[in-house]
Amino acid sequence: MLTAELTPVTGSTQVRRQYVSQGPGPALGWNAMTADQSAFPRPSHASTADQRSVREPSVRQPQPVGHNVDDPSLDEPALDMSTETPQERMARFEKDAMPFLDQLYSAALRTTRNPADAEDLVQETFAKAFAAFHQYKHGTNLKAWLYRILTNTYINTYRKKQRQPLQSDAAEVEDYQLARAESHTSRGLRSAETEALDHLPDSDVKRALQQIPEDFRLAVYLADVEGFAYKEIAEIMDTPIGTVMSRLHRGRHQLRDLLSDYARERGFVVEGATS
Amino acid sequence: MTRAEHDSEHSEFDCSRARMQLYEYLDGEMAPEDIDRIREHLAHCGPCLQEYDLDQTLKALIRRSCSCEAAPRQLRTQILARITTIKMTVEFRD
Repeated sequence: MLTAELTPVTGSTQVRRQYVSQGPGPALGWNAMTADQSAFPRPSHASTADQRSVREPSVRQPQPVGHNVDDPSLDEPALDMSTETPQERMARFEKDAMPFLDQLYSAALRTTRNPADAEDLVQETFAKAFAAFHQYKHGTNLKAWLYRILTNTYINTYRKKQRQPLQSDAAEVEDYQLARAESHTSRGLRSAETEALDHLPDSDVKRALQQIPEDFRLAVYLADVEGFAYKEIAEIMDTPIGTVMSRLHRGRHQLRDLLSDYARERGFVVEGATS
Repeated sequence: MTRAEHDSEHSEFDCSRARMQLYEYLDGEMAPEDIDRIREHLAHCGPCLQEYDLDQTLKALIRRSCSCEAAPRQLRTQILARITTIKMTVEFRD
């Protein structure tokens, strides 16, 4: 079953070159995990601090092409999967993949909406990832590869038995606290709605995320929390980029409406909340 | 057409176009040639800048609220145990 889901097809340099011309974001290097396994260099673990800090908009720079492809000296020693022992593979998995445990668990929490399912989902994801790890091309985007497996596993397994109705957020409501008023106010241009949203507690945002359709939620999560490029989200969710943009658009608008409602309920003034 | 009418029409076109592209700008997905145009527009259009400010705040809010949570310790242990089982299956098969 695993091999059926994660069938590898040998990639080629030509395929890689085609990706290059497609513009802004680099391909993941494992096209939907079925068609192409060509290497596309990208730091597999971009600094978490960088991804989670607020970023000024800019052009998303494609990663330097051919970096650790054309110049092997810049790369770690080439791995020969055929001679890698199970012991070596396990060590490599522990070193490269296991550091993503917390991130994947956090994503699973937001996806499954309860800790028990999140743990099951993450365990299943890592088991599948390890079983297919010889198919993962070293040097390509490991984090996105893991997210792809997580998403697939969720869709194929957990979505069907998702517990309903939604769990209440009683525990999270208790740790309610106002977010700090940040220094943005100096801009002087903020609308009342923006000001109100910025004061909402984390628990409200999590609650709002749980309210919107899961395809929207996942797209927003991957873009805003994980900082994936549209192209990467498209490959993780196995959908065209246009669909990703549409999901982001609708998801964000729904979130904004919900959060404006919450802000009003909490007595934060929201004037002219239009969307 | 008066000058004011012309300006208003012109800016409506810019605004609708800008609004459509705000997310791409915000997400760093915009083509370089479009970035200057939208920056220029935001510098002169209060309502669009407010809209952008709201979008930016929402994005930051979501990021802040979903900060990374540590996985339970036993989850890591369970995963490693399961992987070891898979590894042994592979070794046995080989």
